Amino acid sequence: MLELKDLFFSVPVTDGNGGTSMRTIINGVNFAFEKGKFYAVTGPNGSGKTTLAKLIMGINPITSGEILFDGNNITGLSITERAKAGISYSFQQPARFKGITFRDLLAIAAGTDDEATLLALLRRVGICSLSFLDQPVDTKLSGGEIKKIELATTIARSPKLAIYDEPDTGIDLWTIGPMVKLLKRERDENHTTTVVVSHNRAFLEAADIVLLMNQGQLAYMGQLEGALPLLTDLSICNYKACGSIDDVRCFR
Amino acid sequence: MLDALDKKLLRTVADLEGIPKGAYNIRKNGKLLARDVSANINIETNADGTGIIVTIKPGTVNESVHIPVILSQAGLYDVVYNNFIIGEGSDVTIIAGCGIHCGGLEPEGHAGIHEFQVGRKAKVTYVEKHFATGPGRGRRTLNPTTKVFLAEGAQAEMELTQIGGVDEANRVNEAILGPNSVLLITERVMTEGEQTAVSRNEIVLSGENSRANMVSRSVMKGDSKQNFYATMDAQAKCFGHIECDAIIIDNGTNETIPALKAKHPDAELTHEASIGKIASDQLTKLMSLGLTYDEAVNRIIQGFLK
Ligand SMILES: Nc1ncnc2c1ncn2[C@@H]1O[C@H](COP(=O)(O)OP(=O)(O)OP(=O)(O)O)[C@@H](O)[C@H]1O
Ligand SMILES: [Mg+2]
Repeated sequence: MLELKDLFFSVPVTDGNGGTSMRTIINGVNFAFEKGKFYAVTGPNGSGKTTLAKLIMGINPITSGEILFDGNNITGLSITERAKAGISYSFQQPARFKGITFRDLLAIAAGTDDEATLLALLRRVGICSLSFLDQPVDTKLSGGEIKKIELATTIARSPKLAIYDEPDTGIDLWTIGPMVKLLKRERDENHTTTVVVSHNRAFLEAADIVLLMNQGQLAYMGQLEGALPLLTDLSICNYKACGSIDDVRCFR
Repeated sequence: MLDALDKKLLRTVADLEGIPKGAYNIRKNGKLLARDVSANINIETNADGTGIIVTIKPGTVNESVHIPVILSQAGLYDVVYNNFIIGEGSDVTIIAGCGIHCGGLEPEGHAGIHEFQVGRKAKVTYVEKHFATGPGRGRRTLNPTTKVFLAEGAQAEMELTQIGGVDEANRVNEAILGPNSVLLITERVMTEGEQTAVSRNEIVLSGENSRANMVSRSVMKGDSKQNFYATMDAQAKCFGHIECDAIIIDNGTNETIPALKAKHPDAELTHEASIGKIASDQLTKLMSLGLTYDEAVNRIIQGFLK
């Protein structure tokens, strides 16, 4: 349902001498997502997971390549058009507003401010506190609260493709299990193609397919078991302070 | 007595559908159009006939006064001096507002000079909306001045809004706070085209444990320009905060100068100020929920000025 063909994304960077060169952040990604499946995308910090998600949503313009959604080439479509086509994205760092409440965002996402519909949405995403609805989505919200709102607005779109960028950051231990269940239920009941970017094992285990990103490329696609040795290697590389340059395991 | 245009202006500036209930004073084109008083609220014309005196009996609670002004006469610049004497322990709402309809080339304007004496432990909520409309190209000016004197333990909450269509506005807000008094001012101004708006605020915290919070939200569209000046002058142990945010759309410009003066060692004064375009992450978020770019801009401004 979503096909990524030869995706590249580069940005100009200024080097130490004041000159500019191009840095490639997404370096040739090819993958086809199937309808109604649950994907987990993982990989080291800075490997390009968020950048890839933003290319799919149309937030970053791709440098070259093509994106097909339900057979249509959406490469040239705006964020709004992709949203209307059925793609929804939960930001890793959600925006905070002044004077806009959770209710407002939910109503925009759902396309209606009908009270019964909004309450049904709250139940669907497992938010029990009704007073939460009138919370301003501003800088006063805690990190976990804003992530719950972000997730709820994504589900409120009833998207064909939902991408959640680290939905579990800041979420308490008691909520992660129910969150995994919720996303699985959305997949099962609404056939939502679900992509979760996460470092959390709970999501990796829930996924049908695990994608491992490293340095702007997909280093692995398949069952979690197959990814485990690679994950271990990457973690060694990540935590080694100033690792020697000829440590080959870091460059596979 | 009220024609269709009057009703439209009243609805916009005072949320009124016709003549209000309770005490009111409606001024049209510089003259009294209608007035009523209640058992606890008296309204009378001042000695030199330049405005009104609204007197609220001590202990009056849950009552409101409407004092809208409407202008639709070309070439008129209406100046009015209004006094509000709010009795001890009362809790009332005053709804003011000025609506201008300009049909021709000649300028029209209004200057409302409002002075509030808020008695001990009294609470007043003051809501003021300014709005101008009409097909005419005449310059529309609104120059309001508000002076507030808070006695011990008094509270004033002021909501000052300029919705649109005003070519030039020069606002002055002054307040002197007695012991344990509380002042909350929220000002919201939107300008567009070639409009200009200036707001000057002088807040003197003279009583011990007085608290003041001034919030300003400005949106500049087109080539419009807004300046905001606010001074908190602390003369006792007190708390004061200024929060001013300005959003620039198109080529608008803004100058914001908050000033804090602590003349007492136990004064606590803070300010936050920001000027800038709409944050791109806010726009991106709303577009990812299906809004177009323009719809997202409007929604963010609507919330910002809410
Ligand atoms: N617009 C941009 N301009 C310059 N550099 C960028 C831009 N966007 C991303 N980067 C860089 O690209 C790299 C990948 O960033 P990205 O946010 O995609 O990582 P990530 O895999 O999501 O990491 P994390 O696990 O920390 O969320 C980072 O080094 C980042 O600084
Ligand atoms: Mg990321």
